[in-house]
Amino acid sequence: MASIKVDGTLVEVPDYYTLMQAAEAAGAEIPRFCYHDRLSVAGNCRMCLVEVKGGPPKPQASCAMAVKDLRPGPNGEPPEMFTNTPMVKKAREGVMEFLLVNHPLDCPICDQGGECDLQDQAMAYGVDKSRFHENKRAVEDKYIGPLVKTSMNRCIHCTRCVRFTTEVAGIAEMGLLGRGEDAEITTYLEKALSSELQGNVIDLCPVGALTSKPYAFNARPWELNKTESIDVMDAVGSAIRVDSRGREVMRIMPRVNEAINEEWISDKTRFIWDGLKNQRLDRPYVRKNGKLQATTWEEALSAVAARIKKAGNKVGAIAGDLAAVEEMYALKGLLASIGSGMTDVRPAMSGIDPSMPRSAYIFNPTIAGIEEADAVLIIGANPRKEASLINARIRKTWRAKNIPVGVIGERADLTYTYDYLGEGFETLVDVAAGKGSFGKILAKAQRPIIIVGEAAVSHANLGKQVGRDVIAIASKLATGANVAEGWNGFALLHNAASRVGGIDIGFVPHDGGVCSADQIALAGKGELDVLFLLGADEYDMSAMGKAFVVYVGSHGDQGAHRADVILPAATYTEKSGTYVNTEGRVQQTARAVFPPGDAKEDWAIFRALSGAIGKPLPYNSLAQLRSALYAEFPHLANVDEIAPGKVADLGKLAKAAIKTKSAPFGSAVADFYLSNPIARASAVMGECAALAAGLRQAAE
Amino acid sequence: MRAAQVVNTLLLKEFVSAFFLAMRYFFAPKPTINYPFEKGPVSPRFRGEHALRRYPNGEERCIACKLCEAICPAQAITIEAGPRQNDGTRRTVRYDIDMVKCIYCGFCQEACPVDAIVEGPNFEFATETREELYFSKEKLLANGDRWEREIASNLAADAPYR
Amino acid sequence: MDFVTTALDYLLGIPFLGWGVQIGFIYKALALLVALLVFTAFILLADRKIWAAVQMRRGPNVVGPFGLLQSFADLLKFVFKEPIIPAGADKALFLLAPLLTATLALAGWAVVPVDNGWAMANINIGILYLLGISSLGVYGVIIGGWASNSKYPFFGSLRAAAQMVSYEVSIGLVIITVLLCVGSLNLNDIVVAQKEMGLAHMLGVPWLSFLNWFWIPLFPMFVIFYISALAETNRPPFDLAEGESELVAGFMTEYSASPYMLFMLGEYISILLMCAMTTVLFMGGWAAPIDLPPFTWIPGVIWFFIKLSLVFFMFAMAKSIVPRYRYDQLMRIGWKLFLPLSLVMVVIVAFVLKLTGWGWHGGIV
Repeated sequence: MASIKVDGTLVEVPDYYTLMQAAEAAGAEIPRFCYHDRLSVAGNCRMCLVEVKGGPPKPQASCAMAVKDLRPGPNGEPPEMFTNTPMVKKAREGVMEFLLVNHPLDCPICDQGGECDLQDQAMAYGVDKSRFHENKRAVEDKYIGPLVKTSMNRCIHCTRCVRFTTEVAGIAEMGLLGRGEDAEITTYLEKALSSELQGNVIDLCPVGALTSKPYAFNARPWELNKTESIDVMDAVGSAIRVDSRGREVMRIMPRVNEAINEEWISDKTRFIWDGLKNQRLDRPYVRKNGKLQATTWEEALSAVAARIKKAGNKVGAIAGDLAAVEEMYALKGLLASIGSGMTDVRPAMSGIDPSMPRSAYIFNPTIAGIEEADAVLIIGANPRKEASLINARIRKTWRAKNIPVGVIGERADLTYTYDYLGEGFETLVDVAAGKGSFGKILAKAQRPIIIVGEAAVSHANLGKQVGRDVIAIASKLATGANVAEGWNGFALLHNAASRVGGIDIGFVPHDGGVCSADQIALAGKGELDVLFLLGADEYDMSAMGKAFVVYVGSHGDQGAHRADVILPAATYTEKSGTYVNTEGRVQQTARAVFPPGDAKEDWAIFRALSGAIGKPLPYNSLAQLRSALYAEFPHLANVDEIAPGKVADLGKLAKAAIKTKSAPFGSAVADFYLSNPIARASAVMGECAALAAGLRQAAE
Repeated sequence: MRAAQVVNTLLLKEFVSAFFLAMRYFFAPKPTINYPFEKGPVSPRFRGEHALRRYPNGEERCIACKLCEAICPAQAITIEAGPRQNDGTRRTVRYDIDMVKCIYCGFCQEACPVDAIVEGPNFEFATETREELYFSKEKLLANGDRWEREIASNLAADAPYR
Repeated sequence: MDFVTTALDYLLGIPFLGWGVQIGFIYKALALLVALLVFTAFILLADRKIWAAVQMRRGPNVVGPFGLLQSFADLLKFVFKEPIIPAGADKALFLLAPLLTATLALAGWAVVPVDNGWAMANINIGILYLLGISSLGVYGVIIGGWASNSKYPFFGSLRAAAQMVSYEVSIGLVIITVLLCVGSLNLNDIVVAQKEMGLAHMLGVPWLSFLNWFWIPLFPMFVIFYISALAETNRPPFDLAEGESELVAGFMTEYSASPYMLFMLGEYISILLMCAMTTVLFMGGWAAPIDLPPFTWIPGVIWFFIKLSLVFFMFAMAKSIVPRYRYDQLMRIGWKLFLPLSLVMVVIVAFVLKLTGWGWHGGIV
């Protein structure tokens, strides 16, 4: 620890603290542009200048000078720094004037206007007259992809974007070219950025040089209603803020949640919002003479009710990727009332058995826990596509501690170096037996993390046993002899926000029910009369035979095309829904806007339907539903908390007999940008997907 | 005193003197101007009907910064913005002023960084229906084209005092 | 046929002169009606113009030259507007009230002599008839206020009733003083009396006939009559029945379009009637002010309307220059000032006439 006086107040801070951190500890605010907590220190904007006593007599950049760099006074007095002296003010005003020399005065047409660091700080340190009479510098705008719009005249060369893309996103594609007046930020040969985290440079940019392209000129920050919510594009459950105006979602921004996403979000999370407006189902539809026709709620519900009454208990239900716990609970209750246990939220032929304990289907070490790991084994997953922020966390840990990472399955660019071990089940068996260099590392590791992807546990063609065996081996690896006490390294990486919540409330086959693949098979054979698809679009729609398909969802995707009745529902920005992320963390979305047209919240649809078939569910409001839900599953009431799985349960699983000989592990996400109905309705995501697939050249 | 008061009352003294006073005014010249046929002078700062101006080359001035919408105390202005189709510049897609809500405070023209929205000298825009007072972008631009000479000369006249 | 003529004779109190004369009556009535309505139209405009002039405004000046056609434009407007009848109103009475007001006001004109013998009905009890008809006028206001089924009209009509009853009394007493002087209830006789006796005759300058008129000998009564006439017709400063500051528009609050117009018409015609009464009782009716040519060349009817217009000008000036009275002030003036004053005057006039033997005694017809 070291003592330092900040504006006369004595504070004790660790000696490795920078002056800026010490000032923050003392409560003094220091303006900045280039410095960012989660990026390396660049010290090139000079806005954070302070006056020091016990160091050089000129103003010092507080972000780059440590407390220990200052020496004490002659009698051992602690060094001093000042953040509000005339010298500091004059220095900062000088810096601001230089920054504004080449910054255009185009705030009225700048999307950053109203939430701009430069604007705000110019209010404090700007002078009202310019002394610069020469021409301002003009820089050509660069094309850096379909998501980020550039306006390089505005750039103040803080290099936050360069540092972010190199350090966090792991793509060395951005850089600063030239010197002095000729300095320009650009991508290599003006190619589009290839990162799935590139959207974050928009937030990082302290001026309006990098702004959101799809959001360009659409709205001003002061006219947006800000709703704090969570993301459901993947099973990570990033904290987001939904900015809406009227009935429209205008943009999605990240919120800080150290346990999950720090302050980054993936591009799919950020730019999905145009998909919320396209292809929406805003009226109920009923298929008449082979064609879907718009109708009223009464007619649609009575059509479904009539079929359910005829079908007896031959009714099945499959929940899709974006379903919240509430609606699955209501649908399960609806099916239970007619004696059916055919519910499923898992992908086809998943190895996750309904009887397995919670620790077998959640990401036990937690996302923040990745930073404590000393080895990571990734089995059948591409975390960069399936859970970009978990990948960013692994990269962060890898950068900090250079931990060994092994991959079994698909070979992909994960932004960090790893040992590629093999592509299938045999390799996993070898590694588990301690064979090979990585097998030995893993055997010695005290805090290993075994990330098991959905592609490793679900094998639509090979049956459920493969997945069960993978879980068994992974459990064995996670409970090895050297593993530290209390460390649970078994990490199942789900792809969809609905999975853990659905499994938690038992939206899996029960009471004689069968799994999703079998339900479709039964339907094909004519043995299942009614099939509910709760936003489920990822299944083979042609195989459902003559079953009466009821699609409850928000977008006109595959499921809606096959459906006999469409009941329009709300998306995650239009309802308050509980989601359990892959860690097992319970989170809730909040309603930012109302559903379009006649669309209703999903649980309310099932409540209305239960009334139409004469067996009403025992709740009339979301609050009543939740109290029923919490009574049955108490852990769901603890929002933002994880009900941990037990390591001992894994030990039991590890003892299961292995029957599989060989199976390949791919990746469950074929196209990062088009993985769910909302993304498929989004034009921006479509453009990104086309670009990523090489279908479109970065022509501009 | 009392008697005088009675006499004054009975002889309607006040009424009679008021009558003669009224007759003086009766024949005095009338300050009323014959409004629809003659009009009083209008100050260059007069805040009348709104107009959206154009640059001399025909380009609309408004850049959709939404400052007028933000400052409008009556929330009479509604703007939707977006990149223009042909050149991608920031333009309004919709620029509506609800003239029924407007209180003619002039904050919008003060806020405008490009002198696009102005309150012109016209105050004779009464309409037969309410709907006609919901001004759209087209209407405002048409106003601007119609009143540009007056608006420009008013702005020039007031410029030294700003 | 004889029976019918006899019956009509009896009912009308005038000799039945055969069918031709009866049809002539209708023409006369129509002529008077049209003349009155047109005159009212311009009087209305004059009222507004005078008010405007005192306030240094121009008044209506757009419709026609100097706004002369303003009243006709208003007529058209009222006729084409939709009459709105409140949901809770008594529809029949609601529509009856303005009709009653207008009809009664017009009926009063039946006995007013606009020239020597030019009265629709030159009846001997003309002044009683006028008193009766103008007293009935209050019913239009009361019925209108009550039928509107709304509080402001109701208050307005209550005020109007009390006010009109109060001033009826002093008007009656004022008329009695005139009648004492004349000794006849016939309006024609009252005018003739003012020609044939009075101050001018006493001074030996009979051609200065304006000195003959009763406004000089009965000056206090003239003033009381003028003020009471304002109150009787709900004119400012006594327009409390429709005082907009407290009662919106009083008994007319719920009225619109043609019923409203009928109310206004009735009001203005009764104002003119009051002006006509003032002219007849105190200003020598149709008589020329100076009994010499060229004044005598001008027909009596013109003199009548000139005088009437002068009185109306005073009505309009009162509207322009006097602020509205409070209701208690109104009542105090009516009961505690005018009533005793006029009572005393009746006694004084009676004594003077008895003691001096003055008065008109049939005169030289």
